[in-house]
Order: sequence, then structure tokens, then C-alpha cells
Amino acid sequence: MSQDITPREALIRLGASTAEAVAQVLEMFAPGGVQRGEVTVIADGTSPFASVARGSIASSVSYTDGVTGANIFVLTPTGARSLAGAMGAPAPDEPGPELSDLEMSAIDEAANQTMGAAAAAIGVVLGQAIEISTPDTRVLDDPASAADVYGTAPHAISTTFVIAGESCRLIQLVPAAFVVRVARAIDDRSAEQNGAGASIGGSTAGDDTPGADASPTTMALEEALGAISLRVWAELGRAHLPLGSALGLPVGAVLDLDRSAEAPVDLYVNGVRFARGQLLVTDDGEWAVSLEALESEGLRLLDQARAAQPEARADVEAESESLDLPPDHPIQGETSSPEPEETSPPESETPDVLQSAVEGAVK
Amino acid sequence: MARVLVVDDAAFMRKVVSDALASGGHEVVGEAGNGTEAVQRYQELSPELVTLDITMPEKDGLEALGEIISFDPSARVLMCSALGQESKVIESIQKGAKDFVVKPFQPAQLLEAVGKALA
Repeated sequence: MSQDITPREALIRLGASTAEAVAQVLEMFAPGGVQRGEVTVIADGTSPFASVARGSIASSVSYTDGVTGANIFVLTPTGARSLAGAMGAPAPDEPGPELSDLEMSAIDEAANQTMGAAAAAIGVVLGQAIEISTPDTRVLDDPASAADVYGTAPHAISTTFVIAGESCRLIQLVPAAFVVRVARAIDDRSAEQNGAGASIGGSTAGDDTPGADASPTTMALEEALGAISLRVWAELGRAHLPLGSALGLPVGAVLDLDRSAEAPVDLYVNGVRFARGQLLVTDDGEWAVSLEALESEGLRLLDQARAAQPEARADVEAESESLDLPPDHPIQGETSSPEPEETSPPESETPDVLQSAVEGAVK
Repeated sequence: MARVLVVDDAAFMRKVVSDALASGGHEVVGEAGNGTEAVQRYQELSPELVTLDITMPEKDGLEALGEIISFDPSARVLMCSALGQESKVIESIQKGAKDFVVKPFQPAQLLEAVGKALA
């Protein structure tokens, strides 16, 4: 099955999902006072800060685990003061053009809470927990040099909001790998909803057609895989349950996963499913996976990434080489005990999408 | 009514939490802006309750929680999490936190969680 969603569509959906989560939190601060505008994909070569006025208040939060990328709220000083006031920050006795430390801290906290909600929303789409950084709030004295502060990314999205009568915007700097993850997650969900079976992220027969390799998504995937350190994990299955139920799980509780014991497990490399195999226990009592079906497209891209980076770090090389293994070659995990309760979940675990997995590298 | 240590990297949130606690008759005996300070202040002040933010610089709330519980296994800690930190909330409960409250919250919600943590 080929990928149905373009990078631009993925960006729009990412922006819309983020904006919805952000708006829900802002609505708690200013009930009835929040309006959400359109999501705009910033054209290539255009600075996302091109129209930001000097002296604007910018509060940034980055994704630090699960995905990467930066999110920058840009408000006018008046808008920032309105938002801080709506949150309960008292106005200074003698309000001047500059916000007080407490008002700046309130904006800091608004960014923290809104992006926490956005990270949760995106995490549901990706089936993985997304961690965020602590916020950084500052006055943008020179928006033209914003790239020096926030860096650059291949893609950028801008979403406008009106809070308590004042306009603000959320600028998202989105790495290529993030776009690929979103596109694949949406494609996977669409495939599941359409009953199309468990094809691997659209990298089967459909992509073998001439020209498929030159698609923006494929190019982005190549770029992403060529630049990142690899982490391999196996997924046994998934279960969905509310946070309340997860918190109430007693020791000894049995959580049913959506896959039979005989079914193969999926192998992932940095979120890209590249193979399936059977879970084994070695003579040393360690988990291992015997590969049964390779995803040729994923492996080809991984080979390209390795070939393109002869000077890559040793750990990347070591893990990349493991991907040359033929079917039936066991890949061993880092966990040392075959006891189920000793199996470590991936760092990507979320309460509503619990994944039992063995994460590791080839030894 | 309890003696409470309030921990959050945002001065604004420390004020919000402190004001809510004061409105419920609790005494805020100290504040901390990161996990390192939180552990130090806990050892100095021996509060009856800690409200502990999760995402903080230097040392986050989960690390601080572990050190506080190691120092005082009977410590009563209430986690203050943002939306989207459910996995960390679960981890914090497993590490010994008494309860949690999700930001943004109303004072009544915080006071209810405080009451549960102190019960």
C-alpha cells in the first residue's frame, strides 16, 4: 500500500491537532475568550518569524523525547499581559510597557501547560509518549535573528489564536523525521480503519513503482534515517485503557494485548517498523527475535543512511550493521530475564497505548 | 491544616499554589524552584506535605520525589502535572507519591487532592 498522505497534509494535521489541544487549555484560562484561526504551512525559504514585530513576547517549548521540534508562542506585550491576567497574575501597580516577572512567569506556565497538552495529543497519534522541555520566555528584540535562538527546521507551521481580544500565534518548527512519523501514523491508522491489514507504513509493493523513491515523504525518510542514532525495539502487542484503569492496576494484574502468543512481533527502528519475527529465549536467558519478514524498503533506506555516513559514530555503526542480518538471525534484546514482569516497556509508553516491548541492540 | 513545601520552577505557579493552600488554611513553609532545591528544603523544613511539579530544570520532579522518599519513606508528596504527563504520573505514584493534580486546576481541586494526600 502506498502512503496516502503528503508531507504538507501531515503538517496541516499536526498543526490542527496541536492547535486544538492548545486552544482547550487556553479556554480554561480565558473561558469563552479564545478563538482559533487557520493553520498555515510556511513556504520554503520564508522565515516563520518574518512578520513578528520587534518587542513581541516569545515563549518556546521543545519536544525532547519521542520526537523533536520547537514550538514558539508569539504574543504582543498587550496580549501577553491579557493572558497573564486571565491566568490570575496580578497587573503591576504601575503597568509599564514591560511585563513583570510574575507576568512573564505566567506566560512561561501557559506555554508549559498548552504544549504539554499538545504533546499528549500528538503522542496519541504517534502511539508514543512525547516529552517536553521546560519553557523559555523572552522578549524578541530582534525577530530577524530568531533563528539564532530557536534554530531552523525543514518545515514550519503557523497557527493564529485570539485570546481575550488579542492576537497571538504558535509557530512550530518541524524536523523532517517528525513529518514522516506523523504521515506514517496517519497512514497506519487509515489502513487499520479501512481493514487494509498490517502493511508496513506504506512501504510495500506500491512504493516500488517508478518515481516512488523521489516522493517528498521518501526523501524526508531518507534524510531522517541518515541523521539519527538508531534504537531497535520489538513490540509484542498493545492494549488501550484509560489512565484511571492504568493507575488502578494491582500487582499481579494481567493485561491482555491485541496479539496472540504465536503471532510474530514487530521490530522497529526509531519508530519505523522494518521487520517481523518470532520472540525467542536464548540459552543465556535473554530475549531474542528471529526475523521472519524484512521490510525491504526500510532496510534499503537504512543501508543508504549507513553508506552515506561512513564517519558516523561507532554506536550508530554497530547498530546499523545489525540490520544487515538475514531472516531467521536472532536479534537479542537488552533485557536479561525471560520473566514477563521483568520486560521493560519502551520509553515511548503511554497510559492509553501500553506497549509491551523488548528494547535493545544487537549484541 | 498542614505545613506545606511548594515546588515549581514557575514563580507564577508557586504563587497560584500557595494562594490556594492559604485559602484552605494551610501554611506554606517554603518554596523551591527545582528538584535539587526541593530535596534540600524538605530536609531542612520537614514539611507535612510537598506539592511537586514534574517538569523542572536541573532535577525534575520524579528524581526529587525519589530522593525525598529515600530520605523519608513516610513523606507525603502531591504531584502537579501538566496534561500529557500521564506516564510520569503513573511512575510517580509507583515511586510513592500520594496523589496528583493536573494543571490547570481550580483551587478547590488542589485542596481536595491535598486533603486526600494528608488523609
